[in-house]
Amino acid sequence: MRPRTGGALRNALLMTVAALLLLVWTVPILLAVVTSLKNEKEVLAYPPTLVFEPTLKNYAAVLTDATSILPNLTSSLIIALATTMLTILIAVPAAYAIARLRLPGKQPVGFYVLATQLVPPIGLIIPYFLILNRIGWMDSYQGLVVIYITFSLPFAIWLLVSYFEDIPREMEEAALLDRASRWQAFWHVVLPQARGAIAVTVIFVFLNSWNEFLFAVVLGGATVKPVTVAMYNYINTEQTQWAQLSAAALLAMLPVILLGVLAQKHIVKGLTTGAVKGVGRR
Amino acid sequence: MSTKDKPPGTPDLSRRKALKQGAVAGAAVLAAPWVARFAHAQGMDLGAYQSAKINWRLAEGQTVNAAVIPASYFENLIALAPEFEALTGIKVRFDKVPPGQIRQKVVLDLSSKTGNISTHAGDPMYLPLYAANKWAEPLENYLNDPKLTDKAWFKYDDIFEAWRKANMVDGKTYGIPYDGEMTVQTYRKDLYDAKGLKPAETLDQIVSNAKALHDPDKRMWGFCLRGMPGAGQNMYIYPSILGAYGGKWFDAGGKIRVNSPEAVAALDWYVTQNNAFAPKAAQNWNWPDIADAFAQGTIGCYIDGHSAATVIANPERSKVVGKIGFARWPKGPSGRRVSSIWNWAMPINSALPEKARQATWLFIQWAASEETQARTSYKFKGPGKRYGVNRLAMWKSGAYNKTIGDAGANFLQASLDSLGQDTDVDWRPRVPQWPAIGETMAKIVQASLVGQIKPKAALDDAQTQVERIMRGG
Amino acid sequence: MLAPGLLVLVATTTFPLLYLFWQSTQNINLAMPGMGGYIGAENYVRMWEDRRFWAALSFTSVYTVVTVALQLVFGMAMAMLILRIPRAQWAFRVAAILPIVLAPVVVGLFWRTLMLTPDFGIVDYASRSLGLGSHNWLGDPDLARFSVIAIHTWQWTPFVFLYLLAALAALPEDLYEAAKIDRANAWRRFVHITLPLLRPAIVVVVILRMTVALSAFAAIYAATGGGPGTSTEIINLYAYRVSFAELSLGYGAAAAVVLLVITMVVAGLLFRLRRAA
Repeated sequence: MRPRTGGALRNALLMTVAALLLLVWTVPILLAVVTSLKNEKEVLAYPPTLVFEPTLKNYAAVLTDATSILPNLTSSLIIALATTMLTILIAVPAAYAIARLRLPGKQPVGFYVLATQLVPPIGLIIPYFLILNRIGWMDSYQGLVVIYITFSLPFAIWLLVSYFEDIPREMEEAALLDRASRWQAFWHVVLPQARGAIAVTVIFVFLNSWNEFLFAVVLGGATVKPVTVAMYNYINTEQTQWAQLSAAALLAMLPVILLGVLAQKHIVKGLTTGAVKGVGRR
Repeated sequence: MSTKDKPPGTPDLSRRKALKQGAVAGAAVLAAPWVARFAHAQGMDLGAYQSAKINWRLAEGQTVNAAVIPASYFENLIALAPEFEALTGIKVRFDKVPPGQIRQKVVLDLSSKTGNISTHAGDPMYLPLYAANKWAEPLENYLNDPKLTDKAWFKYDDIFEAWRKANMVDGKTYGIPYDGEMTVQTYRKDLYDAKGLKPAETLDQIVSNAKALHDPDKRMWGFCLRGMPGAGQNMYIYPSILGAYGGKWFDAGGKIRVNSPEAVAALDWYVTQNNAFAPKAAQNWNWPDIADAFAQGTIGCYIDGHSAATVIANPERSKVVGKIGFARWPKGPSGRRVSSIWNWAMPINSALPEKARQATWLFIQWAASEETQARTSYKFKGPGKRYGVNRLAMWKSGAYNKTIGDAGANFLQASLDSLGQDTDVDWRPRVPQWPAIGETMAKIVQASLVGQIKPKAALDDAQTQVERIMRGG
Repeated sequence: MLAPGLLVLVATTTFPLLYLFWQSTQNINLAMPGMGGYIGAENYVRMWEDRRFWAALSFTSVYTVVTVALQLVFGMAMAMLILRIPRAQWAFRVAAILPIVLAPVVVGLFWRTLMLTPDFGIVDYASRSLGLGSHNWLGDPDLARFSVIAIHTWQWTPFVFLYLLAALAALPEDLYEAAKIDRANAWRRFVHITLPLLRPAIVVVVILRMTVALSAFAAIYAATGGGPGTSTEIINLYAYRVSFAELSLGYGAAAAVVLLVITMVVAGLLFRLRRAA
């Protein structure tokens, strides 16, 4: 055993390094917070001003001006929620099937699911534009939601498969012996165990559709304009309104952070049983 | 999205809706004196429009989908849209598209002939592309149709000639200017005065002025031009220098030539001066970045759009308000000054049915008319000054003058002289292949700015690429 | 149970993919109307001869390999570190979510202007204050490559950290106890016990990070636009520019197809590795 003083010293060192890391991660976010509380004139002062009179007017402007992002936040919320729910609804049984059922061609199907996630988004803009036009779904919620499902579904399935693979078969088999149907076994035995995994999937699917920009800008429009697109109200051809942009960006982060914090427990649980599979495309 | 929650169809405004809209417009419309006379009727004064000898309601019931960019001059127009709807019975839906994406979104719509976008805030340099593909209507058909246009009222010829010409392809008009700008020399008058400097008349004087002020240790950089790559970024500046050196985009045989000796000299000047006097970051800067830096008091002189006054002359953003002077582009070795030509040009999508095209034309006519230009600028009581209304007479009018004239010394004169005398409609090559040419040249210009490649070699390389682009490769 | 999922996938990805492939065999250049039509593999031949394509491909590989490696190393180191201070873990878990949640375009802009601009940004200020001098982080071609890699690494290391932290926490404690009694030092414990146990998790995280790195777009687009010159142009950006700035839709589609094939080959190899693990 080591002497105690060495342990204390080592702990202090650890804490210092850890604090530094925390700083690196959060500096840009803290910068956004500070910027959002400044007047535009002060934002770009050099050396950066640390002492200033904080103002909430940027938040007020972002929420109440003619260019308020509130309707956009609502749009984003509708799209992200719908995408997430539908994705989970389809992905959970599909992933379970891939993980459990003895289907012919299971491996190719698994790889196909992975491959569909790899399609470069750039290549899909034009076909999606043409398809949505043909069926009259341009600038509509259902249009964007369907497109987002395209990306979130393979991701969600792939994420969930390995969770399901990790759940011991014995329990289901016991249920099946009790004359429960495949569905019943799935519903009563597998699902409760996969709660953490599903929570993780929910968060990342939500996050992906919340942050999406490329398709939102081309396939959305006057009716459906997610907040990522509306962010450009503050980065326009006349000027970059740094303080308002920061306020808007932070407000747009809130729902996801809230979701993340609420699901902290589940995330960690999910992570320990299975594997988190990527947070989508950037 | 101020247009999002309006009930469709009903052109006449209910009281509640008027109030709601009023809130959106910052209650400005209700407060204006000209409203008071008509307050008993509809809460808005349409008389100025109704004096036009056309039937504004001939496309009643149609919807116009306008793609614009987020900018105060369009926000003001959006706020006034209920007046247009009341006047014509046509509904307008605005889609605010980020400036970096509006071209791609519009091109997708036009090329697939879906007709989702009736008109948009267009780049004049894209009009040759539209014309070649027959995506947009030649607007003479509308301008000259007495049923659709009251020439005496619309006074199209009062709109700045440079902008009208920039929107013409092979003698036909494809877009109507809504708002625009020109590049001007912007300098720190206080510092110039203190050192006895005058705004540069020649490119050489720019250099000597810059030398006199340049002192990076004290956070003062003598001269700056934007370097960020893009057909509308550094390729908004380089063509002016090329023109000042007497360079042309096409040789005598009409073949594109980007590596002429004049071009090499122009690019060399751009690179040398930016490296000598601009902050290093300028190689990656776009216009808002330079305006921000100037507003912080760190730039002695730069050349860019006059509309940067939005930032640098705004007391809430700028530390140099009251210390700014403006002047025209300096002359180059050829003796020419070449300013930029920019306007947001509104075209009509050819994929629309006839009635919808007429409705779109009425909208464009309304937006570009003197009355709407006034109502979105000096008559507009909300925030957001417009620095780029489309008619000379308005610039000269006292009322407009008062709202923008205090941007800095010589602001109005420098802007108007630039627009009136220093423009050259062919300062950039107006061909359908411009988007590709502009991007290619932009990359080359920036690569030269950062020293990856020497100007001569860079332009020789560009020549090969541009020739391939013209062949359609 | 699989049918609805598969059906949706087939409907939403297969058709567009076929369309993309068809498009890549056409000469679609919007600036040259009337020149369109089937040209077979000509777009691919042109790509073979295109220096800019190869430059983009090579930077894409560097970008992907380096960002994934850095995320893995830093993420692992952080996870090992934070594992030892259980009381403060929650702070790190919350902090880790922040960079991931920030919209990519805002990430790009913030880094570009408020952080990295020489003479104006706070990174530059910090670097000067520390006596390290001023650097043109996004203007110098080599530094710009470094910077876009750093930005991506900054944003996504927290993900690897979160993932590996959880994986580490799940490792059986008794193995370590035994090793401690054997007086194996920390490094040996890490190499001989932790790493082998973490192998499946590491393979999975590498696949994930790789697919995201290969399809990176928004942050680079906002920070450098692929510049200076073409120094930070990854294939995604190149395909985008060719398609939507140069309006050469056929050629752009070909670039997208090539990127897809490369991604699938890499993913296929990793997929095997995962099953082996």
